[in-house]
Amino acid sequence: MAPSNAKHASQACIISGGFTVLSLQFSTESTAQHNIFVKEHRVRAEKTTHRPLDRTLFVLNIPPYCSESVIRELFSQFGPVQSVELREKPGSSENATSKLAKYFTTAQKQGFVVGYIVFQKATSIAAAKSHPHNVPLVVSTEQQPVWTGLKKWIHQYKQSIVQTDKLQEAVDAFMQDYDQRKNEEAKRQKKQAEEQQEDEEGWVKVTRGKGGAKARPHSEVANQKALQKETRKRKRKELINFYTWQHRNTQKEHIAELRKKFEEDKQRIALLRAQRKFRPY
Amino acid sequence: MEQSESSHGEEDDGPTIAKRAKPEVVKEMEGILRPVKLSRGELYKPPTAEELNQLKEAESLFHCSLLKMQMEELLKEVALSVRRKQQIDSFVQNVTELLKTVPQTPVVELSDLSWLSGGVKVPFLLVPKAAKGKFHMAPPISVNIIGSYPLGTCTKPGISVDVAVTIPADVLHPKDALNQRYPRKRALYLAGLAHHFNLVPNLGVLSVERYLLCSGAVCVSDDSMLLPLSPGKENSGFTLRLHACPPPGFFKPSRFHPQRNNVRTEWYTGLRSSQTEPPTPHYNSSVLGDMLPAAHLQFLAAVHSQCSAFTDGVALLKVWLRQRQLDQGAGCFSGFLGSMLLAYLLTSHRVSSTMTAYQLLRNSLHFLGMSRVVTPLSADRLLPSLAEFHSVFQVVFVDPSGHLNMCADMTACTYKWVQHEAAQSLQFWDDPTVDGFHALLMTPKPMIRTADHVFQLCGLAQLQASCKKLNLLNELMDHSGNYILTVLPFILSLLQRGLGERVRLLTHSLLPDPEWSVESEAPKHKVQPHLSFGLLLNPEQAVSVLERGPPADSAAEFRQLWGSLSELRRFQDGAITEAVVWEGETSCQKRLVPHQVIKHLLQLHADIPESCVRYVGGMLDSVIKVCSTGEEESLKVVQSYDDLSRKLWRLEGLPLSITSVQGAHSALRYTQVFPPVPVKLDYTFFHRDKTSKCLVPLEDKPCPVYITPIKVICHMEGSGKWPHDRVAIRHIKAAFHISLGELLTQQHHYTCQPSATHLDVWKDGFAFRIQVAYHREPQVLRESLSPEGLLIVRDNEEAQALEMATIHQPFLTSTLHGLQQLHPCFGAVCRLAKRWLGAQLFSDVISEDTADLLVASLFLQPAPFTPPGSPQVGFLRFLHLVSCFDWRNNPLVVNLNGQLTDYTEIKNDFIASRESLPVMFIATPKDKKVSFWTKLSPSVQMLQRVVLVAAESLKVLEHQLMDASQIQDIRVVMRPPLDAYDVLIHLQPRQVPLLNHAVDKPHVTFSRGVLNVGVPKTGQAMPVVDFSPVACYLAELRDAFGDLAVFFCDPYGGTVIAVLWKPKAFHPVPFKTSQMVARRVEVTGEEAHTVPNVEAILEDFRIMGQGLVKSVDLRTERWVV
Repeated sequence: MAPSNAKHASQACIISGGFTVLSLQFSTESTAQHNIFVKEHRVRAEKTTHRPLDRTLFVLNIPPYCSESVIRELFSQFGPVQSVELREKPGSSENATSKLAKYFTTAQKQGFVVGYIVFQKATSIAAAKSHPHNVPLVVSTEQQPVWTGLKKWIHQYKQSIVQTDKLQEAVDAFMQDYDQRKNEEAKRQKKQAEEQQEDEEGWVKVTRGKGGAKARPHSEVANQKALQKETRKRKRKELINFYTWQHRNTQKEHIAELRKKFEEDKQRIALLRAQRKFRPY
Repeated sequence: MEQSESSHGEEDDGPTIAKRAKPEVVKEMEGILRPVKLSRGELYKPPTAEELNQLKEAESLFHCSLLKMQMEELLKEVALSVRRKQQIDSFVQNVTELLKTVPQTPVVELSDLSWLSGGVKVPFLLVPKAAKGKFHMAPPISVNIIGSYPLGTCTKPGISVDVAVTIPADVLHPKDALNQRYPRKRALYLAGLAHHFNLVPNLGVLSVERYLLCSGAVCVSDDSMLLPLSPGKENSGFTLRLHACPPPGFFKPSRFHPQRNNVRTEWYTGLRSSQTEPPTPHYNSSVLGDMLPAAHLQFLAAVHSQCSAFTDGVALLKVWLRQRQLDQGAGCFSGFLGSMLLAYLLTSHRVSSTMTAYQLLRNSLHFLGMSRVVTPLSADRLLPSLAEFHSVFQVVFVDPSGHLNMCADMTACTYKWVQHEAAQSLQFWDDPTVDGFHALLMTPKPMIRTADHVFQLCGLAQLQASCKKLNLLNELMDHSGNYILTVLPFILSLLQRGLGERVRLLTHSLLPDPEWSVESEAPKHKVQPHLSFGLLLNPEQAVSVLERGPPADSAAEFRQLWGSLSELRRFQDGAITEAVVWEGETSCQKRLVPHQVIKHLLQLHADIPESCVRYVGGMLDSVIKVCSTGEEESLKVVQSYDDLSRKLWRLEGLPLSITSVQGAHSALRYTQVFPPVPVKLDYTFFHRDKTSKCLVPLEDKPCPVYITPIKVICHMEGSGKWPHDRVAIRHIKAAFHISLGELLTQQHHYTCQPSATHLDVWKDGFAFRIQVAYHREPQVLRESLSPEGLLIVRDNEEAQALEMATIHQPFLTSTLHGLQQLHPCFGAVCRLAKRWLGAQLFSDVISEDTADLLVASLFLQPAPFTPPGSPQVGFLRFLHLVSCFDWRNNPLVVNLNGQLTDYTEIKNDFIASRESLPVMFIATPKDKKVSFWTKLSPSVQMLQRVVLVAAESLKVLEHQLMDASQIQDIRVVMRPPLDAYDVLIHLQPRQVPLLNHAVDKPHVTFSRGVLNVGVPKTGQAMPVVDFSPVACYLAELRDAFGDLAVFFCDPYGGTVIAVLWKPKAFHPVPFKTSQMVARRVEVTGEEAHTVPNVEAILEDFRIMGQGLVKSVDLRTERWVV
């Protein structure tokens, strides 16, 4: 796409794949513009409710200084925005981490992101897609300046200072929740065990009691251990150099070993010779 | 196929090998070692007798057959080719023909030089000028090849063929041995030959341009003059050296008894002296040396014919000597001496004539390393006794005739050095963990990289004065006026006495053989550039500032040695003795105590002024200087940490006890480039956070001082109460951070600031970052449930990173801390190495831990050197290691704590899976297979670049250190070449916190919120820890544009960020949703291609670094597609 193309200057620029190219610049004084690519969100397998297909706009290549609030502000010119979700890579949403307190979320990469913007009205999408290419969106305005660089880092540093009591609260809350879950789990298991005790016809499944020898844990490591034990046992019972053929075999093995080493060394030398590594000076 | 062949037995062995060799050719192309795959048939076929023998020999004689094959290959490299030999033979033929046509000239007085025309000058310093005798030119009686060439022990490079030209008897007079008459006639004769060669329009292949004063070529004698000829135009790389000799038996050998005088004092000084004439042993041996080459050749040829491996043995010995720079110059251990030594060992039956070259080398090194004195080859009653030799020479090795000491010019120091080298070589020869071949014969050992400290005497004319001061007239006469050689042994013994226990060995460079044009006068002795001395320090004694002497009543000798510096002192043990105290507070000053000693002694006893002594030992210190070179600062950090650690152990009221407290930061192992210094803060410089009492930087002020968080890992006791869930463990750890902080505040009044991942403690002006660890956490991170409900353990990055931080790094820190205790300069070498890496913008390529490991390997496996005894030599070897190690085919094994005894397993594993392993593979006892320190970086390209820059830096640095005439600015190696980069981002110096540590000190300094007065107190507001705008900026840039470009920066005060575009990213690619970072679309026809939006990216560089970036400088236009 050539931005200087005068004919299409005031029109929206659409490229293959159904994306519309919008330009975005940091402030009004900026000389260069980023291209961002928007398209209505259309994924067949999408089932989550918070990305309704008809009202969600999918945005590619959002620069790192655009936070969710900035994007909300920028796109509200096409219609009221319901929610904005920024992610490193396109894909289905996950909200497992959202439950954790902010202290325990791992730091996000501060790179270019993709966004899912959910408008309140479906018409806003069309408005966004028909936005002319040569009218850039401006990130940082005088009314709402966006902090970058030094100001941002100082702000980040300030944010990173944790208040002890709040952190303690978060920990306590999580642990309480965790203990509760653990308890429930234990109860459930106990219940299951009880259920197994007698079925309708009066049959009782007999398992090894708790007090007796421990059953082998159901894990990979345990399986391997058992196998190793077996082989070791077998090895111990084996006779070495007992029969003549065994003795002969050992000798053969020894020569084979020497030969192998010899060959390896030869290869090494050949390689070094090829690299002229034997010139002492 | 293999099976059928195996049944044929012996005669089929050849073709099989040929077939096996074929796939290797393919492998060589790729230049990587691969595991050898042999088919079962080949491995298990019945062995032939010959093969069995070969295998057995290789197994029993060498640790591995590899060494044998390596030596064979080496010998092939140094041996002369048949073609070369033919060339030489025909050339010698031509020269012999030409020599026969030398015309007779009329007899003239010796001092009359008028017959020499055509600008040819006499190669002799005519001091004193007067000499009696007559001279005329005449064709030589005979022309013979002597020396190494006829023996076949001549080796590449620098092939020289020695030819003896016998002066006719009528030119000489039986009394010519007296008063330098013979040497003068010899010089005249050579000048006559040169004259002849230049006059006669000869074959057009000869050119006589230079004289060479050579020592130890065929024989020993300090100045056997010779005339090198080389076939003119075609620079075929060999020289023919013409030696003029007297006819055999012309002088009686007994005249040259070491105790006899052959230079009269009256003639030399012009004064009549009443004393008995002093012996002139060096002059005698120089004349004698000219008479014996033919006899020596005969002797060596006889030995050679008995022992088949003699040639190879001598060749190996020559290579060994040459790598140690022992084989050239005045008083060297030349190849001739090497062959004589071997011949001596053979004739005295110390080695048997059936031995292989390998065994010969080994035995001669053994002999050199173990024996104290070299004994004569023959003992005849009529000849001078050994004691007589020893009374006048420092090293004695008597030739087969019994008259000549072949080591006449060698100083005791040189011989000790040879012994030391031999003993050391034997030591690592037997060590299975060292690549013996490489260390023994392939590694050059220049003095600057061998000796810990080096100093040079410049302006050698000054030594004339020393001659006077030391009263050495007789010796000067003996050396025919060569005052350098005269003074050298005396200076050496003086220094040896003065330095005493401080040095293990003192060595000196051998004066190079001067070579000059036939048309200019013989050079004066003072044109020699300089004389270098190398010190091998004793790390414990070398830094001592006290020289304690005997009690006053028996201290005359001590006082004489030290002069005015010696004074009576009373010591703590009550003794009152003479003593000398040197200056030195910090360890970097103490390391230079030898410099003070040398300066003082030379000034006092040899009249050599301070300005003539150029001491190369601490020149690199300035780049890592804070107040001293960091040892003291590191020690303070370690002490403060030890205190904290003790307090943590004793902390009461924790729900679980602490099982270990370990440091995991380079400052805690003395290797932090600029160790943190305690700071006292100016609170008005900061904004104070109300709720947490933490300081926050202000925008309008310069960036505050950078406070390094010193990482400490605190392992908590295992208990059933620990949850078995990754998220829950993190929460529990956070709870521990809080409670640790509370307890430390309560019981010790430290300022603490907990967070989920760590706890910052502000103590004594240092910030410690404590991280709680639970030993089972990596295990928990690895466990997962398979869909069938089976508990499986899978390694993952998260677990590895955690293990790295909580297990490996603390272990490395404590191990290296131990290494520092053994080798006091380990830390300084690490700091220099890391400073260099930083300055060359490689900090992110080779991590701190990796760099420390590389340096550790220099100390743990120094062969063929000794462990570095000064930061400078360590740094040079670091550069050499980085640039010369064969990273592609060899693992670097760092044997921490000496835990490994055998490397074969590591090597085999390495070869077996080379491709999947990191380019720079470093194995340690805890990590034999993965090399986790270098897993992420460097990449192939970056390593190549590091290797290149290291090699260049080494070259420049060695040049500067050894050559006083170069520009003396060692910071040159710390300034990176910036022209290779595409974009340079210049930063505002005021926002670069470590600006003061920059390689070139900044002109302006900024206030960084630090008070210079007062001691830091504990229990105040938490300072700004670990805040560096540069680091934040770099992290943001890498996050955003990591796919498009690579960013480099010097973390120690660099004010420029260099950007290199990744060429791959600039190819236009089709539109793809997942690869759209900072790209724009170009539509050509139907297709849409994307390219990086460079203008916008450059704009982003400015936007993202607002307040920090000064300017963005474009260097190339490469993105223009």
